[in-house]
Amino acid sequence: MNRFNFPDLGIGVGLRTVHFSHILGSQPDVDWFEALSENYMDTGGRPRYVLEKVAEQYPIVLHGVSLSIGGTDPLDFDYLRKLKSLARAVNARWISDHLCWTGVSGRNVHDLLPMPYNAESLRHTAERVRIVSDFLETPLVVENPSSYVEFATSTMTEWDFLASLAEESDCGLLLDVNNIYVSSFNHSFDPNVYVDAMPADRVVQVHLAGHQNHGTHIIDTHNDFVIDEVWKLYGRACARTGDVSTLLEWDADIPDFPTVHAEARKASAFRSAGSRESGVGGRKAAELRPPTPDSRPYSEGPYAAV
Amino acid sequence: MPQSDLALAPLQEWMQAVVTHPSDVYEAADAAEIAVDDVILPSRTLQPIQRVGIYHGMYMLRMIEALTVDYAAVAQFLGEHAFEHLVRDYVQQFPSRSYTFNRLGDSFPEYIASSSLKRRNFLHDLAVLELAMTLVFDEAEAEPLPADAIASIAPEQVADARIIPIPALRLLALDYDANEAFQAFREERPMKARRQKSWLAVHRRDYGVYRMPLTREAFVFLEALVARQTIGSAIETFHRRFRRFPAQSDLFTWFRDWSAAGLFTAIEVE
Repeated sequence: MNRFNFPDLGIGVGLRTVHFSHILGSQPDVDWFEALSENYMDTGGRPRYVLEKVAEQYPIVLHGVSLSIGGTDPLDFDYLRKLKSLARAVNARWISDHLCWTGVSGRNVHDLLPMPYNAESLRHTAERVRIVSDFLETPLVVENPSSYVEFATSTMTEWDFLASLAEESDCGLLLDVNNIYVSSFNHSFDPNVYVDAMPADRVVQVHLAGHQNHGTHIIDTHNDFVIDEVWKLYGRACARTGDVSTLLEWDADIPDFPTVHAEARKASAFRSAGSRESGVGGRKAAELRPPTPDSRPYSEGPYAAV
Repeated sequence: MPQSDLALAPLQEWMQAVVTHPSDVYEAADAAEIAVDDVILPSRTLQPIQRVGIYHGMYMLRMIEALTVDYAAVAQFLGEHAFEHLVRDYVQQFPSRSYTFNRLGDSFPEYIASSSLKRRNFLHDLAVLELAMTLVFDEAEAEPLPADAIASIAPEQVADARIIPIPALRLLALDYDANEAFQAFREERPMKARRQKSWLAVHRRDYGVYRMPLTREAFVFLEALVARQTIGSAIETFHRRFRRFPAQSDLFTWFRDWSAAGLFTAIEVE
């Protein structure tokens, strides 16, 4: 158990639009879902309806991509207010985002841009994590990114930076073992050293995903099955953390839900049986509303054609 | 010389400028105030310019992908190359300033109208339609009035009644038949830029987005209602526009169809 007493939710799957109808219709035996915060903050349409329905049946964790915790623009409190409101609406078990920045001078590049790892950026990021955690009234959970560059201004390793950040800001950690593998390939370090350096009692969650290896570098695409080396890293991480909430991300070339779920369930081989939070996930007696068409973002009405 | 003392803020400004530069990464590097090799370290396989080039390449792909989702018919009509060129120029003038991609395309129709594209007036109308669909898709949900609610207003109160529209409703008056073009796109038929005045209600019902063609008369009356005029005032607006009152049968048909479509959420009687 982590020091924040965030529960082990078991093995979850990222909630994706293409699976909405399947999830509402068949209520799959999934332990929990992770929802991308920004996809649900500004909509009163079908995505928000589906998320709230899913939240009635399954534990939800919110995972963001636009907090820009390492950015040098001021924190966006309008964003944080909406995030907090959404978290309350779906009873989010915790809120996570990435160790990165997403833009400056009011712009959003919509990418998880890497940080230089040095004393200045550590001080800057730790202060912002503390402010965000205070505002959200829950410890922010910070994920290690995958990256393709290293900066000349870095004076410490990413794992030392992350461990120090967690200590100084008292945040939780979302350990993405695929990201560790991707970055270890791109930056030529031993991924086992990274995993071993993580403060195990701060690891709240683990991410798994697939990637694309281009020979000279790896891109973190989330479009494939998890490779064996990443499963080994996952096993190494679990040996340190004990059973920990685990989630498979699949964001491009997404197969049908049973395929994604089956891939996620492979994580059970590394876990002890029956250890997740009791009474969560799986089917419950309550009926869900019959699914509406979701194969396209817009459905046609009887008067759609002139 | 490696910039070992480059502070965080200027480093981020530098990287954003390189990553979002409209040309290729080599031109982006030439335009930057600090040499790439001074900021980025090489890997065992890639030079610094190649490494930052990964981010540069992905930036424009993401912009194109996001706007292709929102403006799929415009993208289809223009073709891949022309659409990508348009997006490349657009995001220079209207870069994302929101935490969500949903707002990236808000200025796309007006940008198209001000461009030098062939068929830009048609493409503007098509983009206006696609933007309305996106906005309606995300609007707040509101319970629609029962189908018989308007008919049950006491006769002496009808003139002073206000019919409150659902948030997920947009009315469009277009110079081109963008709705037919969009329908053709959906049915994988060739889209035609047919110049023809058209009026449309784009709305959401049961979380599906619908396009309801309107006559000019129905549009004028519904537009007045959506502007929160009372039914009596809306009839006067209609009269001022057409120098006649709407036919009883038309009013009956309109309210019946609009109620059935769930366009209204409340009735206020003064």
